[in-house]
Parts: sequence; structure tokens; C-alpha cells
Amino acid sequence: MKYEIPAEAEERLPAPDTRSGLLSRWFLQRFPVWRTYEHLEGKVVPKHRHSVWYNMGGLALFFFIVQVITGVLLMVYYRPAEPWMSVQRIVMEVPFGAVIRSIHHWSANLMTLALFIHLFSTFFMKAYREPREFTWLSGALLFAVTLVFGFSGYLLPWDDLAFFATRVGIAEVEKAPLLGMWLADLARGGPEVTVDTIGRFYTLHVMVLPVTILTIIGLHLFFIQVQGVSEPDFFAALPPEQKKYEKFFSEFMFGEIPIWLCMGALLVAISAVWPRGLSPEADPFGSAPAGIKPEWYFLSQFQLLKLFPGKIEAVGMFLWTMIPIGILTVPFLDRSIPADDRGRLVTKIGIVALLGLLLFTVWGGLS
Amino acid sequence: MKEAEGTERSRRGFLGFLGAVGLGWLAAAIYPVFRYLSPQAPPDPFGEDGRALVEKITSAEVSQPGMGGNGKYGNRGLLIFRNQSGTLKAFDSKCTHAGCNVAFEGERIYCHCHGGTYDLEGRNIAGPPPRPLTELGVVEEDGLLHVYRLTGGGESEAGS
Ligand code: HEM
Ligand code: FES
Repeated sequence: MKYEIPAEAEERLPAPDTRSGLLSRWFLQRFPVWRTYEHLEGKVVPKHRHSVWYNMGGLALFFFIVQVITGVLLMVYYRPAEPWMSVQRIVMEVPFGAVIRSIHHWSANLMTLALFIHLFSTFFMKAYREPREFTWLSGALLFAVTLVFGFSGYLLPWDDLAFFATRVGIAEVEKAPLLGMWLADLARGGPEVTVDTIGRFYTLHVMVLPVTILTIIGLHLFFIQVQGVSEPDFFAALPPEQKKYEKFFSEFMFGEIPIWLCMGALLVAISAVWPRGLSPEADPFGSAPAGIKPEWYFLSQFQLLKLFPGKIEAVGMFLWTMIPIGILTVPFLDRSIPADDRGRLVTKIGIVALLGLLLFTVWGGLS
Repeated sequence: MKEAEGTERSRRGFLGFLGAVGLGWLAAAIYPVFRYLSPQAPPDPFGEDGRALVEKITSAEVSQPGMGGNGKYGNRGLLIFRNQSGTLKAFDSKCTHAGCNVAFEGERIYCHCHGGTYDLEGRNIAGPPPRPLTELGVVEEDGLLHVYRLTGGGESEAGS
């Protein structure tokens, strides 16, 4: 038995004797989703001088899609039992292997960067306030999962830079109070980074994390579709006739297409100009080479910890831990719409945190 | 009314029972998974005689004063060299800062990761390392090198 088409739909659908009219009726008789359609159709995105930031989440999604495609392609030749040899084969022998690997590398970096900007732009627009607390928290989780993606992927080529950087990275985890040691051993599969660690990181990287991140992305996008895009205070304060909006479907979405196409071209270009290198195979017993550095998105942490060596290392740890704690609690601390004194204070703290992160990242990169 | 309350209570009771069984079931499933994922204790690098064979570096490579390099014992990294007075010195090569492997540089022991520096006795003299390196005793036998654990501080009794 077919579903009935609601009267308000009948009024708006194309005439029943046209092809689109037939097709839409055929569809609605099988999937009664007219209400959902109307909801999505009514979705708008505010248009103002800061609108470009609204594209950052979508951009991160684009880079993630690139990661899935290139990652699956890499899996065809990557072998966790012969990590370095198999990556060398991808780079040296497999047609376009070097490009695909480089794109995976660059897109990972750009995905992290886009999420970074997305996080800070939604923070400064105060989009985390009621009713969007869970959109914000799911986004924070997405950011964290992406960092774990980057950390686990980085070890997979098993070259000496990656090997020792991972060893140092996990040694930092070890120092975390309470669970640190346990977590570090669990990640390594023992007290040292060995090929056992590859087994763990590989499973995480190509199976556990993708399933996790897809679930959270689904939730995150679902929340956004249901709640719509928030209006920043300065926009909400405008008189109604000055508020401009763009329809999400399809004006905003079509607006994303050229951005995605440009980014795709950019990825190919930088991958061709700066291919991802492969240093000599890791020797777990040899001395560490010079130039061990974590990826840029861990540099600020790394630099902060270096500032507080030895006994006062806990101070650095504490300072750094304030950032995730701040991110997790801000929707419950800063709730007033429009922003009150506390809201403005939170913005100032955010600016200091952002400048601090940038400063420490650049400093870590230079030293 | 009473009857409704009664069924409500028994329904709750049943749900509680289901919950308890479910939790028990979950615990029974989680424990093996937890054990499966927990790393096994690594084997002791030192054999029954308390010694471990040195691999990846030969006694010929440390035959003269000032010669040295990285090798392994068990599944751990080793730094071994002959100092100017002709004594073989051996250290676990794991830097006490964040676990990179240190390198022998003739005059000093150096860690490329963050510039940690040790003297030839393994004492941390510059950079971030908080502690000296762990020293091991060395014996040379039939052209093979062995290391053994030094007990109690163990700075003085390096073997020859
Ligand atoms: C379904 C998704 C993914 C799959 C199947 C996948 C698969 C792989 C494989 C097989 C490798 C090893 C080959 C190599 O090292 O060149 C790798 C490396 C890597 N992956 Fe992924 N990946 C995925 C998503 C991601 C994401 C989302 C990120 C980060 C945001 C990421 C970051 C990295 C990094 C940094 C490397 C090391 C690249 C290098 O230096 O060569 N991956 N990935
Ligand atoms: S690991 Fe050796 S100095 Fe940091």
C-alpha cells in the first residue's frame, strides 16, 4: 500500500503530468518525508562579513573524504608486517603511489588545520551556547579523534623520524597522572614502541577511528540540520530588514563546491611540489637521528612541556590540560545571549589561548 | 489500582533483574578483551646466568679506546664504547628524558632528540635528561660481548 501525499505537498509539487511531478510523487508515495523536506528547505545560513567561517566545517569534511579515499587506496599495498618496505614500494614502484601517499599526508594536515579554524571560529561566534551544547561537544570530540588519527598514522611508515617521534610522544603520555603509564603501555603494547605497536596503531587508524569518527560526524551534522546555524550576537542584534540569509539547500551548498574543487587542486599541487619523504627504516636499537619533531599540531604542547623540565613539568602539563577542560566546560559556563561580562571575559581568554597556541607552535617549529 | 501497582513493581523488578544480568554479562565479556589487549610483561633480557648477549655490535668495533656505538641486548638498546683508559663501558641506550636512543660521540654521550648530554660515566650534564643513564657491566668472552645488571648504584664495578 502506498503512502498518501499530504495536501500541502500537493499544492507545491510540480504538476502531475510533468516528469518531475511524476518522479517526486513516486518517491513521496514510498518515503513519506515531506515534513523533513520542508524543514531542510527552510534552513538558512546568516550572511555577514564573517560568513566565510561557516565553510570551515564543510572544508574539514572534504579533507576527511579525501582521507578515506586515499587511505583505502594506501591499504591496498600497505602491510603492517613490513611497514617500511611496503611504504617504500608504494612510493617507488606503484604508479601514482607517491602522489596518493603525499595527498594523504597533506590532506591530513589541512583537515586538522580546517578543524582548528572551525573550532576557534565557532568559539568566537559563541555558537556553543544553548541549545547547541552538544553540537559543540561532539565537535570537540571530532577534533580529538582527528588528532589521534594523525598520531597513529604518523607511525605507520616506520621510518626513523616517525619511530622516535612516536616514542617521545608516548613518553609524554606516560607522565600524565594516574592513567598515563597504563595508557602508554596499552598504546605501545608493552614498555617500548615495537612492531606490536604498529598492529595497534594500524587497527586504530583504519578501523576503530574511522567507524568512531563517522558516527560522531553523523551526530554532529544531524544536530546542525535539526537546530540550524546559530546567529552571532552582532547579527542577531540587526533590525530584521538588514538580516540577510542564504538558503542552506542549495545556495550555501553550491557555494561550497568551488571551494572544494579549488582545495582538491591545491592538494594535488602541493603534493606534487612537496612530496612526503621517507627517511631510513626505523632501527629500534640505533641512535636517534637529528631533527625529531612531532607534527605541527602537537608542537605547542611539546614546546610548553620543554619550558617546564624535570620536577616542574607538572606545571606545563597543568597549563596545557586547561585547554581541553576549557573546551569541554565553556558551553556550561558562558550561557548568556547576548554575551554579558562573563561572555566577554571568555572571549578574551579565548584570544589569549589562541595567541598562546600560535606562539608556542611557531616557537616549537623554530627551535 | 492495587493490581496495577503490583504489576508495576514486578515489572521494575524484572527490569532490575535484566539490568543486573546484563551488567554481569558485560563484565564477563569485557574482562577477556581487557586482558587480550593488555601487553604481556616483556621477557627479562638477562638469561639464567644473569648475562645478556650483545648483538648488532661486535667486540672488533670496540677494540680501541675511543671506539663505540649502538647495539642491542635482549630487546633493549645498548650503548657500548671503550674509554681512553681502555675500559669497556656499557649503558642502556634509552635516554632518561623521553626515551630516544643516545649516541656515542667520543667525548660525550649525546641525545639528538632534545640535546640531552651525558659524560662518559653516563651522568646527565646538560639538557633535559633528569637522571643518569643506566650503566651495565660488560664481559668479553671468546670474542663475544655480554652485559649484566649492576646492582646497587653500580658505578664502580664495571667489568673488563
Ligand atoms: C578511513 C580513513 C583512513 C584510512 C583507511 C587510512 C589509511 C592509512 C594508511 C594505510 C596509512 C599508511 C601509509 C603511509 O603511511 O603512507 C596511513 C598513513 C597516515 N594517515 Fe591515514 N587513513 C585514514 C584516515 C586518516 C585521517 C582522518 C588522518 C588525519 C587527520 C590520517 C592521517 C595519516 C597520517 C598523518 C599518515 C602518515 C602519512 C605518511 O607520513 O606517510 N589518516 N593512513
Ligand atoms: S629524549 Fe633524549 S633529550 Fe629528550
